[in-house]
Amino acid sequence: MSVRLLVLIPAAAAISLALSAAVDAVALPLFLDTTGTVLATALAGPGAGIATGVVTSAVNTLRNPTFWPFVVVQIIVALYAWLAARAGLFRSLKTAVPAGLGLGVLAAATSTPISYVVFGCTTTGGIALTTALGRALGLPPLGACFFGSFVADFGDKAVTFALVTSVLHALPRRTAARFPWALRAVGIAGSAGPA
Amino acid sequence: MARLTLERVSFWYPATERPALRDASLAVAPGEVVALVGNVGAGASTLLLVAADLAPRVVGGMIKGTVDFRGRGNGEGGRGIVLPTPWTQLSGMAFTVRDEVAFGPANLGWPRERIAGAVDRALDALGIGALAARDPATLSGGELQRVVIAGIVAMEPALVLLDEPTAELDPEGAGLVWRLVRALAGDGCSVVVATSDLNALPEVAHRIVWMEDGAVRRIGDPALLAENALCEAGLATTVADVWRTARLGAPYPLTVAQAEERWRQ
Amino acid sequence: MSRRHPFTLLALVAALTALAWILPAPAGGLGTAAAALALAAAAGPRRVLVPALVTAAPFWLFLLLLHDVPSTIAIGLRLTTMIASVVWVGALLPPGRLVEAMVAAGWGVTAAYLFAAALSAVPLLKARAQRIVDAQRCRGLSPRGGLGRRLRALRALALPLVLSVLHEVDERALALETRGFVPGARRTPLAPPRDGTGERAARWLLLVACGAALAWRIAWRG
Repeated sequence: MSVRLLVLIPAAAAISLALSAAVDAVALPLFLDTTGTVLATALAGPGAGIATGVVTSAVNTLRNPTFWPFVVVQIIVALYAWLAARAGLFRSLKTAVPAGLGLGVLAAATSTPISYVVFGCTTTGGIALTTALGRALGLPPLGACFFGSFVADFGDKAVTFALVTSVLHALPRRTAARFPWALRAVGIAGSAGPA
Repeated sequence: MARLTLERVSFWYPATERPALRDASLAVAPGEVVALVGNVGAGASTLLLVAADLAPRVVGGMIKGTVDFRGRGNGEGGRGIVLPTPWTQLSGMAFTVRDEVAFGPANLGWPRERIAGAVDRALDALGIGALAARDPATLSGGELQRVVIAGIVAMEPALVLLDEPTAELDPEGAGLVWRLVRALAGDGCSVVVATSDLNALPEVAHRIVWMEDGAVRRIGDPALLAENALCEAGLATTVADVWRTARLGAPYPLTVAQAEERWRQ
Repeated sequence: MSRRHPFTLLALVAALTALAWILPAPAGGLGTAAAALALAAAAGPRRVLVPALVTAAPFWLFLLLLHDVPSTIAIGLRLTTMIASVVWVGALLPPGRLVEAMVAAGWGVTAAYLFAAALSAVPLLKARAQRIVDAQRCRGLSPRGGLGRRLRALRALALPLVLSVLHEVDERALALETRGFVPGARRTPLAPPRDGTGERAARWLLLVACGAALAWRIAWRG
């Protein structure tokens, strides 16, 4: 692995964790904590993406001990983003947002069993509250749990994909050309393939 | 026998049509201090990256011509570069200044005693011994700049490449860096420095390389910094510039001391 | 305890957490939670125990809301074990020491770098994000308005942050290269933590205990 890709991984992980400051400023119910994972995947392939997801979870665990079981979700996100990048779905917002919504469903389906088995569905205040709402609406426990995760993930992943698409398009070509998959992800043919 | 030789080197960054460096030739002897002067986009930073074996190896892009370095790889007996943005040059792996400076020597696999000695000398040379236990994340720009330079010096390189090493420093810090450059050269280390601190150069540099638009325009001794052409390009020392503006007649003096001497005559 | 080898501390956290799930509820969870809280209390009642309890409290609340009392107690004790032990190790183990241990154990610099660099970058990036927020507020950014306006505002905040990080990736790579950093290479550990035979044995013992508990639990159930 080149030193540049090695540097990209912790930088992307730190992006995932620092974006909460921007989210707080606009008061939206988002996490964006997989942004770095999606970005690293789109720029440098699935290996970099998975590594970013694992590092993000490890560092996040130091601040909130309940995060580490969700490393599985980070890995699923990296693999999904890899397929999306190969399919050219970061080419425009029109393709990226639906792809992000799809990831939202997948991420919710992944985090539900973890949340259910490990936490009894009580992860983070917002999700627990929507889960309680699901229970109040008469859903069975597992169904309410999925409902809670789904509400949290659905919009979050769509915004994540939209943000990564914006970044890829705003990146100057001279910078983008230094990452092996960046140009291909936005649909510009050329230097594809690991450097 | 030159330590670093560039022969007709051209370099293109990735995804660019115009070369950032055009047909540049330069030889640097052991113990020599060579200063690159030029305006933004002149190619000085690119020349340093090429000399450091980072372009195109790490940066990517395309090179023509030959670069010859007589020394070992990176670090010890090798070459080290200091880039102008100190906050991006922290390793990220050290939680104290002492460990940050020791990062390079540790990568070279030196025994711990040798690392400790080299780190102490480097901290001392940059006047930052008092910061040794601080977290690098809490330092000011000027302090960071010194830490980063110390991190390179601690690796005991044979060629040091400095890109605007005094940009973040106050006059006292800048003076310290220039004294360090002379001391390094005194120990046989070669130094190539790109700087806009032109007034310091007559005391520090053995030779001046004037770069423009990616090419080497002229190479000469420090008196070059008092010539008309460099005055016009905004690359002369302040004294020379003032002397010229006051129409006191060529040749212009380089430094205050020279001006005083000329004035008495 | 803080003088113990980092791997021993981590092994203890992993074992306590694993046992909390393996051992039958509620007695098992009660034991592991008590052990974890005792460690936290010993490390510092105010500095470690209180933050651990504060982190765990909302989980208990939501558990009560969503589950009956026996499940609340069973899951709550497990979560308390996990939270208290991780908070404990976070307070006791400076990241620098963990990095040194990883280097000394011959892991190569790659894993140590990924962890340490992300850890040290987060506070710096958060500060930068806050500066961007402040700057955009001066230019009239408001956290009000409809969803579309807020999303556009979010983009205006996030984009400069992410782009600035990507621009710096190259300079950081150059800086690491010039300082002899080679991925996967072994480097000299600067202050390797002491690792005695006793500690190594203790780590193996923890692993064996978890394995035995798991085997017993499976046999007991089946």
